[in-house]
Amino acid sequence: MTTSPSTEAVVAPGDVTPAPALEVVGLTVTFPAVGRRGTDVVALRDVDLRVAAGEFVAVVGPSGCGKSTLLRVLAGLTPAGATVDARAVTTPVDASGARATAWMPQRDGLLPWRRAWSNALVGARIAGVDRAVADARARALFDAFGLAGFERAWPHELSGGMRQRLALLRTCLPGRPVLLLDEPFGALDAITRRRMNGWLAGLDLAGHGRPDGAGRAVVLVTHDVDEALLLADRVVVLSDRPGRVVLDLRVPRGDPTAARQVLLEALDPQGGTSASGGA
Amino acid sequence: MRRWRRLFAPTVAGLVLLVGWEVGVRASGLPAFVLPAPSQVARTAVDVAPLLGGHVVTTLTEAGLGLLVGAVVGLLLAVLIAAFPWVQDTVYPLVTLTQTVPTVVLAPLLILWAGFGLLPKVVLVALTAFFPVLVAAVTAMAAVDAEHAEMVAGLGGTRRHQFWLVQLPASVPGALGGLRVAATYAIGAAVVAEYLAGQSGLGVLVQRSRKGYAVDQILVAVVLVAVLTGLLFLLVDGLARLATPWQRPSTPSRPGRTPA
Repeated sequence: MTTSPSTEAVVAPGDVTPAPALEVVGLTVTFPAVGRRGTDVVALRDVDLRVAAGEFVAVVGPSGCGKSTLLRVLAGLTPAGATVDARAVTTPVDASGARATAWMPQRDGLLPWRRAWSNALVGARIAGVDRAVADARARALFDAFGLAGFERAWPHELSGGMRQRLALLRTCLPGRPVLLLDEPFGALDAITRRRMNGWLAGLDLAGHGRPDGAGRAVVLVTHDVDEALLLADRVVVLSDRPGRVVLDLRVPRGDPTAARQVLLEALDPQGGTSASGGA
Repeated sequence: MRRWRRLFAPTVAGLVLLVGWEVGVRASGLPAFVLPAPSQVARTAVDVAPLLGGHVVTTLTEAGLGLLVGAVVGLLLAVLIAAFPWVQDTVYPLVTLTQTVPTVVLAPLLILWAGFGLLPKVVLVALTAFFPVLVAAVTAMAAVDAEHAEMVAGLGGTRRHQFWLVQLPASVPGALGGLRVAATYAIGAAVVAEYLAGQSGLGVLVQRSRKGYAVDQILVAVVLVAVLTGLLFLLVDGLARLATPWQRPSTPSRPGRTPA
């Protein structure tokens, strides 16, 4: 790995939480007023989030609650015109001192003038990964991501699911210690999306099996409770705008029915106990 | 049916015009130094064909070199404008302003400064060609997809990465579009430069023919300029397609589109 987290993550036995790979404390993001008589819009208010290496955290919330904004701030992509105010934002840096996070947008962002293989290497090139190393990683990942045989395809020749997988591959390839995924499969149809999530759950992006905190910190933004429960170790629920953390739930191993109910109630306090999905 | 009509209708219309011209000239008895019949133009073309080769080579050389220089200069300037905002602020308005002077008007000056040879013609063609390339490339670089720029930034990309990974490649189709436009001007610009001075070239042929009232030879040259411009455009268009293979749809997506 060419990157080294600034904070040493140590997995200790028992309930001791390891030092976070990623941390924001008291994050408030304000957008300036739109129009003459509008008022400033507070997108996020006083949000705390800590994610350890090897931990997969899902952030869920209703549309417009600022969850994408939260992810952008973590990725260093301050939205144009917005005021970002936080007591602390800690993200890992690489050897050259640059931010070592990898962000994946909702839309794939594939460059139409690069073939699939070349698109996959974009992240590695930015991170300064050696070309031979990057090629070797890409070979392994193209197999793991079910893209083998499509190395020379242009992005427009790939299906929606394949494009999203390629975008995820591009994001993983540099080996950054923090992955920030903004509804990676949000643009796909329900069936493809379900299939993708099943596949993603088996991929173990955070690297739970790895010893000594060698895994990655993964933050996934989604509005789908089931997706969050399937993929994440921990689910953070944001309220309606201005987004605040209303629930931080560790996903239990085994039957998630109870956890699902708790999440839905947190998402929609007025809706009572009705189990109809929280979009 | 439609495709057939698209080919057939203009061909017939063209033939009708030619026949009308032929009949009109013969019936009215117009002298050949005013308007020769198309049949006579064709006969002259065959007669002077051995002389045409040298003129065509000269004009094509001027147009080709000028187009190349213009494209390179236009693209380099576009890159500088995209890379350095101060270049955009200082140079771009001036460059736009220079375009208020038609390049043809500059031809006498160029000949005064650069002599009667190849150079002033190449410079004139380059001056004509660089502007459409520059404008198209600058526009394409400024209109970079925010999605792509954000993707690069989200992976930790710097301004340098933005430029090499996104801005420059995104400008290529635009610059090539400008080059297609420039290609249609190139031969014409070379011919106009040749009107003023030169030993060889289609413009020289036109001037000599005019002095001898050989209207049929002028018409041969006119047809040649049109054909050469068309061929140059097809060549540039073909090269542009080769250079942007990602824009080639792998399957025909538009129904009823005639294969090129």
